[in-house]
Amino acid sequence: MLKMILDASGSLTLTNDGNAILREVDVSHPAAKSIIELSRTQDEEVGDGTTTVAVLAGELLSVAEPFIKANMHPTVVVRAYFAALDEAVRFAEQAAVVLDADDTENLEAIVASCIGTKYMHRHSDLLVRIALAAVKTVRDTVDGRVLIDTKTYVKVEKLPGGEMEDSRVLDGVMLAKDVTAANMRRRIVKPRVLLVDCPLEYRKAESATNVELTKEADFRALLAAEEEYVTRIVGDLLAHKPDLLITEKGVSDLALHLLAKANVSVIRRVRKTDNNRVARAVGATIVSRTSEIVESDVGTGAGLFEVTKVGDDYFTFITGCENPRACTVLLRGGSKDVLNEVERNLQDALCVARNILLHPKMVPGGGAIEMAVAAHLTAKSKTLTDVSAAPYRAVASALEVVPRTLAENCGAKVIRVLTALRAKHSGGGGEEAPFFGIDGRSGEVVDMRTLGVWEPLIVKTQTMKTAVEAAAMLLRIDDIVSGLSKPKGSGGEGGGGGFEEE
Amino acid sequence: MLSAPHIFIYQHARSGLPPSPTSTGVRPDAAHRLGNAPGIVDRDTCRRRRRLVPCRAVLGGFLPSARRGPLSTLPTMTSLAISGHRESGQDVRSANVTACVAVANILRSSLGPQGLDKMLVDQVGDVTVTNDGATIVGLLEVEHPAARILTELAQQQDQEVGDGTTSVVILAAELLKRANDLVQDKIHPTNIIGGYRLAIREACKYVREQMATPVEALGRELLVNAAATSLSSKILGSAESSHFANMAVDAVLSIKTGGEKGGFPATYPIKAVHVLKCQGQSARESELLPGVALNCGRAAKGMPSRVSPARVACLDVDLRRTKMKMGVQVQIDDASALNAAQEKELDITRDRVRAILASGANVVLTTKGIDDAALKYFVEAGAIALRRVPLEDVRRVAKATGAVVQGSLADLDGNESLDESQLGAAEEAAEMRIRDDTVTVLRGCRSTAACSVLLRGPNEYMCDEMGRSFHDAVCVVKRTLESGTVVPGGGAVEAALSVHLDEYATSLGTREQLAVAQVAEALLVIPKTLAVNAALDATDLVARLRAAHYKSQTEKGKEELAMSGLDLLTGVVRNSSKAGVVEPALSKVKSIQFAAEAAITILRIDDAINVERKDADPEG
Repeated sequence: MLKMILDASGSLTLTNDGNAILREVDVSHPAAKSIIELSRTQDEEVGDGTTTVAVLAGELLSVAEPFIKANMHPTVVVRAYFAALDEAVRFAEQAAVVLDADDTENLEAIVASCIGTKYMHRHSDLLVRIALAAVKTVRDTVDGRVLIDTKTYVKVEKLPGGEMEDSRVLDGVMLAKDVTAANMRRRIVKPRVLLVDCPLEYRKAESATNVELTKEADFRALLAAEEEYVTRIVGDLLAHKPDLLITEKGVSDLALHLLAKANVSVIRRVRKTDNNRVARAVGATIVSRTSEIVESDVGTGAGLFEVTKVGDDYFTFITGCENPRACTVLLRGGSKDVLNEVERNLQDALCVARNILLHPKMVPGGGAIEMAVAAHLTAKSKTLTDVSAAPYRAVASALEVVPRTLAENCGAKVIRVLTALRAKHSGGGGEEAPFFGIDGRSGEVVDMRTLGVWEPLIVKTQTMKTAVEAAAMLLRIDDIVSGLSKPKGSGGEGGGGGFEEE
Repeated sequence: MLSAPHIFIYQHARSGLPPSPTSTGVRPDAAHRLGNAPGIVDRDTCRRRRRLVPCRAVLGGFLPSARRGPLSTLPTMTSLAISGHRESGQDVRSANVTACVAVANILRSSLGPQGLDKMLVDQVGDVTVTNDGATIVGLLEVEHPAARILTELAQQQDQEVGDGTTSVVILAAELLKRANDLVQDKIHPTNIIGGYRLAIREACKYVREQMATPVEALGRELLVNAAATSLSSKILGSAESSHFANMAVDAVLSIKTGGEKGGFPATYPIKAVHVLKCQGQSARESELLPGVALNCGRAAKGMPSRVSPARVACLDVDLRRTKMKMGVQVQIDDASALNAAQEKELDITRDRVRAILASGANVVLTTKGIDDAALKYFVEAGAIALRRVPLEDVRRVAKATGAVVQGSLADLDGNESLDESQLGAAEEAAEMRIRDDTVTVLRGCRSTAACSVLLRGPNEYMCDEMGRSFHDAVCVVKRTLESGTVVPGGGAVEAALSVHLDEYATSLGTREQLAVAQVAEALLVIPKTLAVNAALDATDLVARLRAAHYKSQTEKGKEELAMSGLDLLTGVVRNSSKAGVVEPALSKVKSIQFAAEAAITILRIDDAINVERKDADPEG
């Protein structure tokens, strides 16, 4: 289900992304705060599983409660938790299946299963194709290491209006800009692109400069000097015969006139980050001193430059790049709120796609891996002879929260489904057992391989690691002192400490 | 020996803050905040009690007179020409001791491998989760002057030794408590102080001569054990202690400087261990980066993300468009010269960059900015440039790679240049992506006198706590290497000293005998607290521990038992050294000395004059 969040400033968020929800929720209890932070960590580390991590950490704490109440020492519980975590991670790694990263169809199915829970699942095929295409575009190999920097090189542009099916990945870059003067060319095939980050207008020197004039002629000379400066830099630019000029700064009227006369289209005041993407897509180097331009700085990789009107605004498309390595994802759709949620889903999908291409190890989804780990831990706990066996087993039962929540959310008979699943995993399913999970739509116990629901291993292990460590940290706390003021003498209010556990 | 009792004067307006009814003593809410600790009562209880027992001071007993109202029964200063309140004799001693014990009680539950953590929340809501004694008392803002001595004691221990901050506070408070009991039994404080001094001297001698095991060739295993002992009480100790202990040992060994034969003894500047914290992954993925890691990425995406071998230039030079200093004006008479001035600005920066690149540098760090225009030169030369690197980091890089930090590029000829000899060298400089951040790592630096530790954890609080714990472990390893001797942990030293001092006490025929015996008793607070925190039968365990040590000191052939300490997981007495629970002898001796010194300082106080702030109460 989605949550609708109305924040303090009155803006609306419609989402079921764990991190997006928790980010908006304002809690004051320090322990709850630390749980919220987990979601953020998870989001930044792997970009998925943000809901699971918070749910799992909470569950781990609540299963620890009986032990604490029964006077078991928190450090014993914590130690058992860590031991269980090690075993769980090891088991999950063994259970993981290595994926062929080049099998596009398979990849699509897997990414689709990862974002299956999201609002967009009607359009999930589309999102998946977009995400995979985008990630593959920006994939780069440096010294044998694969780098996928979706943050820098994939830009998501949301254009309200149109159909969601119109969303696509450009083999190039889009800028929300129009050419600067109306008479410039709006369509150029195979443009020569020149990127500069200096202003094409007269720029004052950095040092305090004072000009004292006594004669009128001097004033004219001064203006002429300024004009001459602009003419010169434009001359420098034109020497390289660009068809398209993109600058991060302003362009003066004079420069514009000269450039237009030379049949060069100009786009001005482009953001640095956008300019970087253009540079990468067309193979140009951003120049900052016009006198230093060399032929290799000019980008020739673009196939088509075109300014088109979408809705009420003009947009610049630089597409058909030979080797884009940077791209813009164009999202279309009904309203801004919907687009925002689609973008969040797409970000998740991008992360998933990135994770899969970087670490092509997958585990069955739908709560199957959690159940398998739980079954393994339960079996393992029977070999433990000391008191730590109980909290060890508790980790297993905490992990069951994932399939349980899945079953609950699709309205299945939770106890029946969960028991069936547990039976499968604890020996009833034989070799196939670890692949059985819950179908999030029908609530039935099915083989995840037939359903094609897979999740990246690193997301799952990261979830477990983060949740267990955070729970352990909270369990170790036996005293909360609050209301301390950092600046001395500011007067202490509040106060009110209390014991948490123990 | 000083026999004149000390008078302790403190003023309301200690820090010159604006008048506030709560600026002295513990604030009312603080008493409430500490309400859980035995010995501390909140303000209401405090008033109630004061009615019954006049002058009974609690932690921060000096509530301003305005608040005290008609209930005030404290003697007012009449003999002095200043207005204020005075407590003397037993009252002030009891008040001080109560306050100190209260502080120690807060820390008590965090001692030992089964100790737990504290969550400290400040007014803004910032959270600190910690097990480190010095951090806890540092954040508690204790305002009672005597209790502040204890908090300072913890800080001092932190700076001097780096570990054992909790135990030093607990020991000091225990010594005080016992001293106060003795004074109530009509023993003069100077006798007690004398006895304490004797006992501590004897104890330190005994630790050095009998307990300390010299470690001939400091085996790696031993260092790891010492680090693991320190970590065992922390969050890292629960599961990953060996991982982190190894990391701490590697870190310290890699920053060893000096120590060649005939030269100065080796030193381990722990400042050279740079700790980077990064959320994500799990604690186990924390790693030691051999070299220096900088928390910033390259200035332009066009630069290579890796260069090898790296020639490092460390600059403190601005590479933005050159700008005259404030107040300097460029006066131009000729209009055509205007552009020239502007061009010159760019040229100066360009020439600087060229000078840097001409030296062969391919990794350039500067503390100041780099103009976007200047970045291009670096991109063209295939060099990595990092801008706005904190000076501290630049210095660290310089130290590790053998570079010289350049404040300016000027040379004697009046030109600007960078000599090759000023560059540092490293095998590789590479940019790593950790989470959403980029980190630049210099590997295989020419002089490896620096290393970086990357700590990973689920959230900020845990990363911070890991940083503190790791620091403690590093300090312990350093101390072990420096002192060259270790003592068994797990309460072994304290129990042995207790037995020894008991016997030593009986050999003294003076009043000091009682004080020495009390020190012997007080030392047992450490094994007791350890056992209590582990939810074990402290009385039983400590008795067995003492028995073992008594045997080792009296019977021949039982010397082995001197290593007996507590195993808190199973609740038995075992050989701590063999179990790998060891601590550097130096820090043990220091912490006993510090605790005794602090206790003596507080014990010497027999008069407290609380000077009224002038503007607060004009009539008084």
